[in-house]
Amino acid sequence: MHASLYRAVEAVFRKEARISLRSRSSWLVVLMFALTTLSCVSLLMQGDVLSPRLAAAMLWVILFFSLLSGAGRGFADEEQAGTLMALSVYGSSQAVLFGKGLFMAVLLFALSLLIVPVYLVLMDVAVFAWGLLLLTLLSGTYGMAMAGTLLSALMAGARAQNGLLSILMLPVLLPILLPAIVLTAGCFTGDVNGSYLVGMFLYDAIMTIAASLLFDFLWYED
Amino acid sequence: MKSCEKGLWALILLLTAGLLYAVFFLVPPAEGLGNLVRIAFFHIPVAWVAVLAFLVSAWYALRYLRRPAERFDAISAVSARLGIIFVVFATLSGAVFSKLTWGAYWNWDPRQTTIFVLLLIYAAYLTLRSVIADERRRARVSAIYALFSFLTVPFLVFIIPRFYFSLHPAPVLNGSGSIDMDPVMLRVLLASLLDMTLIYIALLCHRVKSERGASS
Repeated sequence: MHASLYRAVEAVFRKEARISLRSRSSWLVVLMFALTTLSCVSLLMQGDVLSPRLAAAMLWVILFFSLLSGAGRGFADEEQAGTLMALSVYGSSQAVLFGKGLFMAVLLFALSLLIVPVYLVLMDVAVFAWGLLLLTLLSGTYGMAMAGTLLSALMAGARAQNGLLSILMLPVLLPILLPAIVLTAGCFTGDVNGSYLVGMFLYDAIMTIAASLLFDFLWYED
Repeated sequence: MKSCEKGLWALILLLTAGLLYAVFFLVPPAEGLGNLVRIAFFHIPVAWVAVLAFLVSAWYALRYLRRPAERFDAISAVSARLGIIFVVFATLSGAVFSKLTWGAYWNWDPRQTTIFVLLLIYAAYLTLRSVIADERRRARVSAIYALFSFLTVPFLVFIIPRFYFSLHPAPVLNGSGSIDMDPVMLRVLLASLLDMTLIYIALLCHRVKSERGASS
């Protein structure tokens, strides 16, 4: 039973990866959005240096809004292509949720690994704790991916989808965003408090369990 | 049934009139806050009902998912709609109190932030309801969102006070578990909490009944 679920999750993950590599649009839009926002901020700063706290907040605001455009595509693309029905016939709810969610988590983490160095160079910010910064990014992007997958499934069939995901996501992601900003600021100054990271991982775990429990109600509509 | 509802409204009217008298004539000015303390007898009850309405909305969302009855969805939605009104009142009265005591309407105090997040959740929930046309899907989707967003609240209660510095007066029931308040003030506060809760219950019953009457 567990082996078959694992294989089903893997199949959905591979399907997502193949479609994403073939079309490129999903991640290219996220990357270009982030780079445009980054260069805009850097341009307007005119070489001024931000305080570590402000630099961390700015980084997470840019990451949040740019990754959001990718995180919400999970089910909207399926709906547009008309493949949502086929997926609901062949895929079990948990396989679809975790296949799509984990692929989105990998994609968002990879994109953040491209965006963050550009930000650090443009804003002239030094990092004193690389390991912690990577763990913070990992936890933040994972939470964003899992919440984004569930919420984009909620939005399938909604009338006005533009901007809706950011409205739905912000309250849900605040318990991750706030500690992520504190941790990132700590990475920029060297004054680190790791307990926030434990809180982020805990919240990620609770969100995963909640998404898993709630997704069944959405997937198996009577 | 109708006479029961009328009785409830009569009780609310009496209680509100008595409370207005008590707040302006019986409650003594507070140490440090003076007459401004009177705002608290409106602010604390509306903030309490804002949270209560959110709990009721989430509870009926859960009940809807377990047994999809139209009534549960109606209670959840109406409670959220009432909740957003109460949360706006709590935010505005808090901002006025903040301006008069700390000199600024808004300064991201932990309690201001928590109530603001509650406002965001309510707004997101109601926006989601407004963009889904199919009634059954709307009910299911909004129930899932209500429960998912409900998870954030305990985390925010722990995280936000560590993230923002607070000027807010200590809660009535403080950290040591003791109640540090003038006895008259405490009684008036408890009565105003009861009054606002009754107003919420009466409005909830009235709205649910009229909405279900309109849809059937």
